[in-house]
Amino acid sequence: MSGRKETVLDLAKFVDKGVQVKLTGGRQVSGTLKGYDQLLNLVLDEAVEFLRDADDPLKTTDQTRRLGLIVCRGTAVMLVSPTDGTEEIANPFIQPDGA
Amino acid sequence: MLGGPGLESVVDQIISVITNDGRNIVGVLKGFDQATNIILDESHERVYSTKEGVQQLVLGLYIIRGDNISIIGELDEELDASLDLAEVRAHPLRPVIH
Amino acid sequence: MLPLSLLKTAQGHPMLVELKNGETYNGHLVNCDTWMNIHLREVICTSKDGDRFWRMPECYIRGNTIKYLRVPDEVIDKVQEDKNRSDRRPPGVGRGRGRGGGHGHGPDDASGRGGRGGRGGGRTGGPARGGGRGR
Repeated sequence: MSGRKETVLDLAKFVDKGVQVKLTGGRQVSGTLKGYDQLLNLVLDEAVEFLRDADDPLKTTDQTRRLGLIVCRGTAVMLVSPTDGTEEIANPFIQPDGA
Repeated sequence: MLGGPGLESVVDQIISVITNDGRNIVGVLKGFDQATNIILDESHERVYSTKEGVQQLVLGLYIIRGDNISIIGELDEELDASLDLAEVRAHPLRPVIH
Repeated sequence: MLPLSLLKTAQGHPMLVELKNGETYNGHLVNCDTWMNIHLREVICTSKDGDRFWRMPECYIRGNTIKYLRVPDEVIDKVQEDKNRSDRRPPGVGRGRGRGGGHGHGPDDASGRGGRGGRGGGRTGGPARGGGRGR
């Protein structure tokens, strides 16, 4: 099992593309993926962190701060998605079931 | 009865689960693993409130991660059937704080 | 039945994933592994409070951040089919005590499920609840 490589997502296709990364604890950064390893450590260039609401640190705001070249520790990475094609939208669930 | 330490004895029976975020989910246990991840079929959530009766939300087929489970218990179907949930008032549980 | 077998069987199906931070992700499961890491496609992300929404073409979610997954009802029947296929071995051979195929299900167990599918359609749609309950 430990020998199995991370096949769920091949990060190769994201190299030199913009990715958005959510980290445990609530930080959210985006940047250009320059490298990665099987532990999901990521190298992001021109990284930007989305600052969070002072009252509710789980909420991100549109304010950002520039981080530059960073390494994201794999153990802290919760979620990776491409920046390209990601956009905020209006409520797509017209009728939430069960509610 | 929960015979032995495992969940084998309650497979295909109705169980009640309390999750770390304070939800109560009831459903048929279809499977589990070492990490206590569980499969719940035909599950529903019971939402408790002090202002109105217990609301039941249909959830369906769920995989709940073991990390997120606080308590698993058998549901006594007979006892449960005798409850009038619409009349039950209770405080919602607070989430587990790590 | 193992939760991860069910998840594996759910590949290609729509599902809802809630993370420990309360965010929910609706999308089609592309792949998953033994750590419950998952790859979703055509994803809609809902914030914890259910008030903001994002569309993303795909995303990778680390298994240990997941609270639960909601999968379409019919997927459980498909697991049984797979199981039957792999269960065609001589009975009573191998397997020290314990679980596995166990619980006395005959191979024709899968046929036992009827009367389902009350609520068809629409499962690709909304989150189970319009986001969180604001806990």
